[in-house]
Amino acid sequence: MYDFIKDPTLYNLVRGPLVWIAFIVFIGGSIYRVKSFMDLVKNDKTLLPFISLKYTLRSLLHWLIPFASKSWRRYPVLTTATFIFHIGLVILPLFVLGHIVLVKESWGIRWWNVSEGFADFMTVIVMLCCVFFFFRRLFAPKVKFVTFGDDYLMLAISFLPFFTGFLAYHQVLLPPKTMTILHMLSGELMLIAIPFTRLMHMFYFFLTRSFMGSQFGLWHTRDW
Amino acid sequence: MAVKEATKTKIVSKDYKEYVREPIPDIGLDETIKRLTPEKIEKTVKAVIGGQVARIKAVLNTCIHCGLCAEACQWYLSYDKDPTYAPVAKMRMTIWEMIRRDFKVDAEFIKQCSRIVFTECNICHRCSLYCPYGLDITYIIGMVRRICFLLGVIPQRQMDQTQAHIVTQNQVWMSQNDWVDALQFIEEESGADFKNLRVPIDKEGAEVMFLPLGAEPKTGTYHIERTAKIMLVAGVNWTLPEKDTWDSSSMSMFVRDFVTMQRIVRGLYENAARLRVKKMMLTE
Repeated sequence: MYDFIKDPTLYNLVRGPLVWIAFIVFIGGSIYRVKSFMDLVKNDKTLLPFISLKYTLRSLLHWLIPFASKSWRRYPVLTTATFIFHIGLVILPLFVLGHIVLVKESWGIRWWNVSEGFADFMTVIVMLCCVFFFFRRLFAPKVKFVTFGDDYLMLAISFLPFFTGFLAYHQVLLPPKTMTILHMLSGELMLIAIPFTRLMHMFYFFLTRSFMGSQFGLWHTRDW
Repeated sequence: MAVKEATKTKIVSKDYKEYVREPIPDIGLDETIKRLTPEKIEKTVKAVIGGQVARIKAVLNTCIHCGLCAEACQWYLSYDKDPTYAPVAKMRMTIWEMIRRDFKVDAEFIKQCSRIVFTECNICHRCSLYCPYGLDITYIIGMVRRICFLLGVIPQRQMDQTQAHIVTQNQVWMSQNDWVDALQFIEEESGADFKNLRVPIDKEGAEVMFLPLGAEPKTGTYHIERTAKIMLVAGVNWTLPEKDTWDSSSMSMFVRDFVTMQRIVRGLYENAARLRVKKMMLTE
């Protein structure tokens, strides 16, 4: 943060204040959206009394395991891509060496990192998944009929950090510093976009799954 | 716009070119839309889906437009995977559009919505089973049905049933006299079959209160007759209520007529409380 005040370069801006802004907007915005959603839930008097912790957990476990549900089994390629994409989306930002180094620079703490080879490989796989999702939206008739600009935008926003990160690591296309700045900006863009778009599904998933899982329990039926 | 294909004329929706259907004439839709005004439509749509409702927001803000719900839907599967039958497609063609146009939709659009939610979806919930988020798509369909109901634009037969519940608290337009007459008729006609066969009406303190479907006393009296015989042989202390509500069905539910739905349920429970029965037995 102070680096930027001492030496106001674009890199220091993106490396310092923008990171703070991105995380504050992401965390604060997400909390705000989940909280306002829960407030609406409380207004519906026939909702909360039927939520069951046991069936929520059953449903979450069932749907977080690939190929456990009938719906996942129906689409093996999509399921594989979805799970690998999301696992990469969570694991890589947290455990890639390049990020951990920056945290150590700023705060002195350090945690475990994945091997660089693995990170590289995983990044390519995540990008391929994005390409798969893109073509699916473009060509699968039932998806195309309900796909609009914001769907493509969300995909692009998720794709960019991996794309720019990959290029920055391999130091191709643009000078490494520039590529790194673009990578940081794309990451910050994604974080800021989360509370304002349907990227919030990452949190809503747990809430909607709880509702439907509880309904299945109420109906004495299995989670399909 | 009409497109001739072989010998059948098909209509193509002016909003969605992929939505191609054979026309189905129904005065419940064709005539009633003539009474609509843009202000009436906007007011009704806004009243039903314009508020801050958790269930609607959950579906609209979480649905990632993945299309996994499609293979759950029997309409989609039986119409050769026509994408306009997918549950998410039904939402696109109804509620998404209403919100996108800021609740200002025209009468033709309402007619199209009514056709979609009444004849291309039967609220079976299968889509929720296949959705990774477990979204309650049927709630949205139900709300669009409610909009159509409040505007009076629903299939004629559906409106007949809905009105029957509003006016007579049963789905077959039976007055209370007719109901008691029917029960007495059944007792008369079948009395010779079994000794001591009765069709008890308003017996206080009985163990079980039987609540048939509307069709039973109207066109299927043999159902109640058989129930009476079973109860006699099983030795169950049972009764039927004399007063409304005696019909355990609720066509009002299909159009989300909340007021009448409440009246029906309240009527059933009030009968049970009045007769101090221990159990309520419903045909459906």
